[in-house]
Amino acid sequence: MGIAFETREEMTMASLDGLVDISSAAELKGQLLTAVDSGKPLRVSLEAATYLDVTVVQLLWAAEKMARASGVAFGFDGTIPAPLLAQLAEAGFTWVQSSVVAG
Amino acid sequence: MSSRGSSVSNAKNADQFKQSFREEAREILVDLEAALLELNADRSDAELVGRVFRALHTIKGSGSMFGFEALAAFTHNLENAFDEVRNGRLEVSAELIDLTLASLDQIRDLLEEREGGADAAACDQLLRRVRALAGLGPSPQASATPAGSQTSAATLPQPGGERVRSWTIRFAPGAETLATGANPLLLFAELRELGGLAVKASMEMLPPLRELDPERCYVAWEMVLATAQGRDAIRDVFIFVEDSCELAIEPIEETDSLGPSAADATALALKEPRAASGGRRTYDKPDTAASLRVPAAKLDQFVDLVGELVTVQARLAELAARRDDAEVAAVSEEIERLTSSLRENSMNIRMLPIRATFEKFRRLVHDLARDLGKEVELTVDGADTELDKTVIDQLGDPLMHLIRNSMDHGIEPRAQRLACGKRAIAKIHLSARHSGASVLIAVSDDGGGIDAEAVRQRGIEKGLLSPDAQIGEAETFALIFQPGFSTAKQITDVSGRGVGMDVVRQRVESLRGSIEVASKPGAGTSITLRLPLTLAIIDGLLVAVGEACFVLPLATTLECIELSAEDIAQANGKHVAHVRGEIVPYIRLREHFGITGRRPGLEQIMVVETGEGRFGFVVDQVLGDCQTVIKSLGRIYRHVQAVSGATILGDGRVALILDPERLVQDAIKAAGRIPGSGPRGHPAPSAEDLRPRYGVRAKA
Repeated sequence: MGIAFETREEMTMASLDGLVDISSAAELKGQLLTAVDSGKPLRVSLEAATYLDVTVVQLLWAAEKMARASGVAFGFDGTIPAPLLAQLAEAGFTWVQSSVVAG
Repeated sequence: MSSRGSSVSNAKNADQFKQSFREEAREILVDLEAALLELNADRSDAELVGRVFRALHTIKGSGSMFGFEALAAFTHNLENAFDEVRNGRLEVSAELIDLTLASLDQIRDLLEEREGGADAAACDQLLRRVRALAGLGPSPQASATPAGSQTSAATLPQPGGERVRSWTIRFAPGAETLATGANPLLLFAELRELGGLAVKASMEMLPPLRELDPERCYVAWEMVLATAQGRDAIRDVFIFVEDSCELAIEPIEETDSLGPSAADATALALKEPRAASGGRRTYDKPDTAASLRVPAAKLDQFVDLVGELVTVQARLAELAARRDDAEVAAVSEEIERLTSSLRENSMNIRMLPIRATFEKFRRLVHDLARDLGKEVELTVDGADTELDKTVIDQLGDPLMHLIRNSMDHGIEPRAQRLACGKRAIAKIHLSARHSGASVLIAVSDDGGGIDAEAVRQRGIEKGLLSPDAQIGEAETFALIFQPGFSTAKQITDVSGRGVGMDVVRQRVESLRGSIEVASKPGAGTSITLRLPLTLAIIDGLLVAVGEACFVLPLATTLECIELSAEDIAQANGKHVAHVRGEIVPYIRLREHFGITGRRPGLEQIMVVETGEGRFGFVVDQVLGDCQTVIKSLGRIYRHVQAVSGATILGDGRVALILDPERLVQDAIKAAGRIPGSGPRGHPAPSAEDLRPRYGVRAKA
């Protein structure tokens, strides 16, 4: 459970695993900033995530905004688990689904 | 903020929010208990059923939100049972009320997270019984779902035909909400239990990633809820975050059901731009915005500081009086005026209505009536009467003992009551009212009354009275407050050990109060506690006797009249004065306190109102009014009854604050040869000598 960032030649891959909440928020912010600042496309995988709290959703949203403003590609990679998608939808965070770039 | 510093701060915040939840939940539990007891009296009252349900629902939902998962799971079962009642599938019965009351005790334990926690076996057994009674199936585990669970059929609130209204809800949690460990998303699950809900998160307030504090909450939500519930039920969902969030709840339209129109309204509302207030969120919490929760310790500290200010102001006034400087005098007067206002305000902040204290005894009466096999109705009068929080905090035990005593010894068994031509249902009445600087709190019953002869005989047996002692009824009744005194033939679980009434006496004395007992055989007993309104700062009148200064509470002082040598001669040696045709007995403080020195030719009588009637205190000189900070005399002087404390005067001298009630009672006691002694330095006069002088009143 937690967060992992992998810098590849063509992009940065961020993977969120299990329950990710405020306890990881500070670390996640730092990693997202580094990734966007690198100028490489940023992909976020939620495939193994089971729960994201509000702090995490806020960071992902802000990262997407920053990436777009910097001309850096941003998207959610892979399939978002249905329970997580439902949880995000119930909380009104529908933008996550619209940012999925690959199934 | 470093990660370590941040987690320490988060833990502290979370503890504060948990504590805040506890405080709110305690209040809800008190209200819940009162509602259950009212429901027991009127089992068909749907409004009360709704009140109970909502309270359980709130405790469950908010408990889960603040991490009290076990509490939430336990309460969920009770909530389901009362949902069955709401939907007409379960009738309110004595068993349901008793089980729910017993469950509330367990919820209290779960809430406090006491060492060892709540009694798990008792919780389990209670849940099984509640579920069996409500027909909810046998497995508590299966139903012990925390509040975050999705809407279940059992909790859907709208039976067919109810009017459904759509509401827009704008909710922006406080910035620190997430750092406290609270999860606002759980509130949405609760809202879904009220009806159909559409949610849209608004990220407008989010700063750029670089500036974003990862632990703050920037998100706000706009929701549309279609429900048959009213605004209060919706607001209840937010009750524990209401003080720290922005919340607006507005109706959209009414529909007949959760049909298409509600869905349309939802879609429409969520597409609408933010409220017409130029993008600023609106506030919709008039009730809570007007009040603030402050720890009692902070309030005590504040009042202590005001007390110190009053003392310094007295020094300034003294200094101004000595200097012939108009400017200093003007500043001193201004400071005095402001200090006086500040003192009054700080005292008012500490004043609380006695309602909560009274209401909690409904449960005691209910449980005792059941245990004793008696039918007892508790009535309350003057519950809005306010008195100092410190006094209220000390009142619980004495009132409990008085009620237990009434229930056990005062109120007769049903058969006996019927045989006497009384109603089968006995009555205990709690009342409160102001009387000058005192508040009178009475516990009355319509039981058999106190057997004065039995009390007297017991007093003789215990050596408190000599067999030939001639004492009045009031003095006889006073014996029941002696340690170990009991006329009960049997010691029961409830009372009879002679401890309770002693506790009452001790506690009331420690509050500088007094007790009056009135009882009539066969008709009942009324015990009245006379307590001071406040224990901190009072308005007083400063008087001098010889070199000594005393303060008399202004609130009990009626007037000041002169006592000349001629008046004394006309009274034929009796300590009485004629005040506009009324004979007022008086106590000469010089004699009472054994103060030596020469009496002035013209003395002053301070006429005061006491529970025993009007009395005078003769002093040498009246120095004027003063704000008086009451300082305790400490343990060494705790048995000095006629003095309620001391205060420091502007010139640094100490003045004793007199308790007129006690002074008069001491004098009466001395006159009647009740256990006690005469005035210091004087042999106790005979009752015959002093009775007319002090006008002893026997109460019956």
